[in-house]
Amino acid sequence: MLKVENIESGYGSMQVLWQPSLEVKKGSITSLLGPNGVGKSTLLRTILGSVEPWHGRITYEGRDITPLPTHKKVDLGITLVPEGKHLFVEMTVHENLIMGAYRKEAFQHMHDSLKLVYALFPVLKERDKQKAGSLSGGEQQMLTIARALMTKPKLIMLDEPSQVLAPKLVGEVFETIERLKAEIGLTILLVEQNAEASLKAADYVYIMHEGRIKAEGGAEEIAASRDMREAYLGI
Amino acid sequence: MRADPTKYYPLIPVYVAYLAMFLIGSNMTGMWQLMAMLAFYCALGQAFNIFLGMTGYVDFGYVAFLGVGTYGMALGITKLAHVEELGIGIIIIGLALAVVMATLLSLAVGAVALRLRGAYFAIATIGVNEGFRYFIEGAKIWNGSEGMIFTAELNQIFGRETASALSTFWADVLVLIIAAAAAFVTLYYMKSKIGYALTALREDEDAAKVMGIHVTKYKIIAFITSAVFAGLLGASAWALKTPYVFPPEVFEIHYTVEAIIIVLLGGAGTLLGPLVGGLIYGLSKYYLSIVLPGFQLLIFAPIIILIIVFFPEGIVGMLKNRVKGTALEQYVL
Repeated sequence: MLKVENIESGYGSMQVLWQPSLEVKKGSITSLLGPNGVGKSTLLRTILGSVEPWHGRITYEGRDITPLPTHKKVDLGITLVPEGKHLFVEMTVHENLIMGAYRKEAFQHMHDSLKLVYALFPVLKERDKQKAGSLSGGEQQMLTIARALMTKPKLIMLDEPSQVLAPKLVGEVFETIERLKAEIGLTILLVEQNAEASLKAADYVYIMHEGRIKAEGGAEEIAASRDMREAYLGI
Repeated sequence: MRADPTKYYPLIPVYVAYLAMFLIGSNMTGMWQLMAMLAFYCALGQAFNIFLGMTGYVDFGYVAFLGVGTYGMALGITKLAHVEELGIGIIIIGLALAVVMATLLSLAVGAVALRLRGAYFAIATIGVNEGFRYFIEGAKIWNGSEGMIFTAELNQIFGRETASALSTFWADVLVLIIAAAAAFVTLYYMKSKIGYALTALREDEDAAKVMGIHVTKYKIIAFITSAVFAGLLGASAWALKTPYVFPPEVFEIHYTVEAIIIVLLGGAGTLLGPLVGGLIYGLSKYYLSIVLPGFQLLIFAPIIILIIVFFPEGIVGMLKNRVKGTALEQYVL
């Protein structure tokens, strides 16, 4: 569904990505692992176009989307749940979700999307009139994901969704991610530092190091490889 | 949605206030000057709010758009004064020139500066304003630092009496009309997809992007709209009211600071806020300068700090929360 080939990008004159390539298969959970500062978030941003690609190719559903601006890519059904909680904290849960349905097609399906996300996250339904800023950390993360679903994506990229969450909530977030795949057939590209949990959830894994892809393989294969675990994942 | 008249109810208090200002000014002796000053501050706030209030970006170079607007009118009048058939049309041409020049400048500034965020944007815009002023002076464009004086041309075109009425009455009426028009556009934006996109990008630009909002486009729309009203305001409140223009006067950063105060005082991003802010600011400035001449700024500064501390969302922002759920709700926005 998504194919990234030899992409290069960075900020200013500082190059961050050194030609990583990866592929995300339709209906799968693909996980991108690696420690802090190796360019995982930059790769997601480059795919979505908020960081401009310098070289390389990004293909989505067989179409070259490398030069497209972010909003066009969202129109095609790609979205990103950015790192940290980028919520509209002064707005209610319900208003946040409605804001998510900004683009035309999403707006037409707003009613169905609302039903879907409230079914997925009953706790959001309970708090729909509460201000987003007053939710707990885990609920805020749920809301960020839910708002991304309101754009009616086919491919959703999650940047460290379990960051700064209590261990119990980490489990909940990963459960949610697996449900997104199983229940609505979403394709997921997941960036994580929590290697153990992502190895469990993912179908396929890429390991990133210093702006390059160092290793790849089925989740079980990577999990079974002692070298991989010790060298890159520290588990 | 289009047929819903309640959508425009929030304009009622705004227009009642502007009408009241006009009636007080034209019927009570000695009040016109004060009302004209208040109208200027309200219009300034109303125009600036479209950018500052709706996007959350602070443009410290805002006065430059009033400046080029003033030059637009000045150029129209001086270059076309010899064409006698134009009559009142020359004012229209002057306003059109102000709009064009403000649009061009805002496009140029926006294309560069709107790529920056937060404090970087603010600093870049200070540079633009100062740079533009010294560019006009240094390169001797539009008479450079000598400025332009066009009292004679106005007298020649309209005759002494009409020219005087133009600067003491019609220029101020025009300011009121600009304020009312800016309020209308503000409400129109708020109720449309533009307002939706601007709210999202003001609250969190990264989130707005991943929702598929073309953030640059909407920032530029707000920037140009706000700049056009500033240009019109410069053309009428400055060029027509006082028929001369000098670079240091029209690129004076002091006006930008006043505009920021008015918007924040009244409530950024609200419709009624700039009006309330403009009235409070204008009235306090006027009466403080009578009661304690020379000390008005010293007293005004702590008052502003107190208001910002106690009503961080501005006076109208606070009011909006108060009237929530009451019958007044649909009039306060």
